[in-house]
Amino acid sequence: MKPTRRDLATGSGALLAMGALGTPAVLGQAKPRVVVVGGGPGGATAAKYIARDSQGAIAVTLVEENETYQTCFHSNLYIGGFKSYDAIVHRYGTLAATYGITLVRSRATQIDREGKQIVLADGQRIPYDRLVLSPGIDLKYDSVPGWSKEAEEAMPHGWKPGRQTQLIKQKLDAVPDDGTIVMICPPNPYRCPPGPYERASMFAHVLKTTGRTKARIVILDPKESFSKQGVFMPDWEKRYGAMIEWLGPKVHDGIKSVDPKTGTVVTGFETYENCAFVNVIPAQMAGAIARDAGLAPAGGYCAIDPATMKSTADSNIFVLGDACNAGDMPKSAFSANNQAKVAAMVVRSELVGGPNFPARYFNTCWSLVDTDDAIKVGGRYEPKDGRIAAVESFISQPGESDEVRKQTQAENMAWYDAICADMFS
Amino acid sequence: MVRDGTDRRSARFQAGLALLGCSALLVTPGHAAGDPALGAYLASECTACHQLSGRSTGGIPPIVGWPEQQFVAALDSYGRKQRDNPVMQTIAARLSPEEMAALAAYFGSLQPKP
Repeated sequence: MKPTRRDLATGSGALLAMGALGTPAVLGQAKPRVVVVGGGPGGATAAKYIARDSQGAIAVTLVEENETYQTCFHSNLYIGGFKSYDAIVHRYGTLAATYGITLVRSRATQIDREGKQIVLADGQRIPYDRLVLSPGIDLKYDSVPGWSKEAEEAMPHGWKPGRQTQLIKQKLDAVPDDGTIVMICPPNPYRCPPGPYERASMFAHVLKTTGRTKARIVILDPKESFSKQGVFMPDWEKRYGAMIEWLGPKVHDGIKSVDPKTGTVVTGFETYENCAFVNVIPAQMAGAIARDAGLAPAGGYCAIDPATMKSTADSNIFVLGDACNAGDMPKSAFSANNQAKVAAMVVRSELVGGPNFPARYFNTCWSLVDTDDAIKVGGRYEPKDGRIAAVESFISQPGESDEVRKQTQAENMAWYDAICADMFS
Repeated sequence: MVRDGTDRRSARFQAGLALLGCSALLVTPGHAAGDPALGAYLASECTACHQLSGRSTGGIPPIVGWPEQQFVAALDSYGRKQRDNPVMQTIAARLSPEEMAALAAYFGSLQPKP
C-alpha cells in the first residue's frame, strides 16, 4: 500500500513536492533501491523517513530478523515495575501498510560491497543503491574473565532486549532480603551510558518497595566516573540510603574473575560469594555484519562522515546508532533516531533529488531513579573537524525539587510514546 | 459564543504552555512567514518528543496546529531562556528567526489527529 495523501502531505514528504527536484543519481531502473538492516531506532526511523519523504519514489526494504521490536530504552522501567513487558514491544506492520516499506524477516549476515548486495541467512541476496546499516551492538563475551555466552543465563547481561531482560527481572524478584546483587559495568563506549545506573536504581526501588531493605547492590565499574554520576549518587543516598554502593576501579582494583556456577565475583579488593545474582554488562562493539564488512576496526565501531552519517569506508553505506562512532553523541535511542533523519535526507536527496539541509544533531537521555523522580542529560551537536562534536549540553542538578523531578519523569514517559510513534506509526 | 479555528488553536497552545508550567506572557514578534520545506526537515528533530499526530501523553505538550506567531514567540522565549526547560532552551538557542518561522509554518499547517 502506498502512503496516504495525508501522510504525504503532513510528513516531510512535502519536501519532495516543495523542493526543486535535482537529477536522480540512479538512472536506468524503475526505482532506486534502499535496503535498511536493523529495525531499531536507527533503522526503523530511516526506513520510514526515506519512504515517506520520497513519496514512494524509492523502494525501501527493511531487513529485520525479529517479528517485534522490544525496546532497550525503558526496559529498566519494566524491571522496576513501572511498565509491563507488553508496553515495550512494538510491531512493524504500519511501516509496510502506510509507507509501502517491504519487510524482510530474516537475518542479514553479510554485505557484498562490490556487488552492492545484502546476503541473508538463507543465501538470498537483496541489491541496493544505498544501504542503511543499523545493526546495534554485539557483546564482547571475553571481556569479563570467567564469563561467556554460556554463562549469560546464570549471570545475565540484559543489554539486548527480550529474554535477557525478563531474566534480570526474574532474578531480581528472587533476591532474598539479605542478598547481594553485583553489577559489573562496561567500559566506554557502550549502549546507553546512564543505563546501568538507572537499572541499579530500579533494583533498589523494587527491593525497597517489597520490604527487602537489607539487600544491597554493589556496582563494580571499570570507569572512573559515569553518566549523571553527580545526580545519581546523591539521589541514591536520599532514596535508598546505603543500599547502592558504587566502586570505581581504584577501589575494586579490577574484575579478576567471575564464577557463574557459584555466583562469585573476585576483584582485586574483595571477593563477593554467593551473590543473589550477578548482572554482567560486558564491553561492546558494532554488530558483526558491520565489522565483517570492514566498516569497523576489530572490536570497535564504524567511522562515519559527520555531515551525512555515511561510512568513511563506503559512500554507499550509512551507519546509524550504536554501531557507529558518533563522536560526542552517546549511544542512545534518541541519538539513533536523530541520526536516521540526517541519513534519510541525504539518501532521498541523492537518489531522487529535493533539498538537502546541513546536518544537525540532538540527544536527551532520561533516567528514572525512583517513583516520580527522573533526571536527564542531553545536548546539541554539529559536524566539526571530522566528527560529531558537542556544542551545548544540559544536565539535571542535584537537589532539584520534587516537582521538577516529577515533571522530568512525565517528559520521559511522553518521549517514549513520541519516539515510538516516530519510528513505527 | 462561536469559537473559530484560531481560538481553538490558541486554546491548545495555552494548554501546552500550561503543561510546561509556563506562566510568562507571550511576546509576539513580527509575522511568521516560514519556508515549509525547511520546516519539514527541522521538524524531524521535534518529532522525537512531540508527536506529529498532535497526540500527547501529558509530559510533553502537543505542538501541532498552533498559530504561527505564538509558536515563534514560544521558541523565541525558550531561546532567550525566559522559559524553563533545558531541552527546549538548548534546541531553541540554535534556531535562527527564519528557522523558527519555518517550524511555525510547518507545524501550523498540520491538524491534530483525533
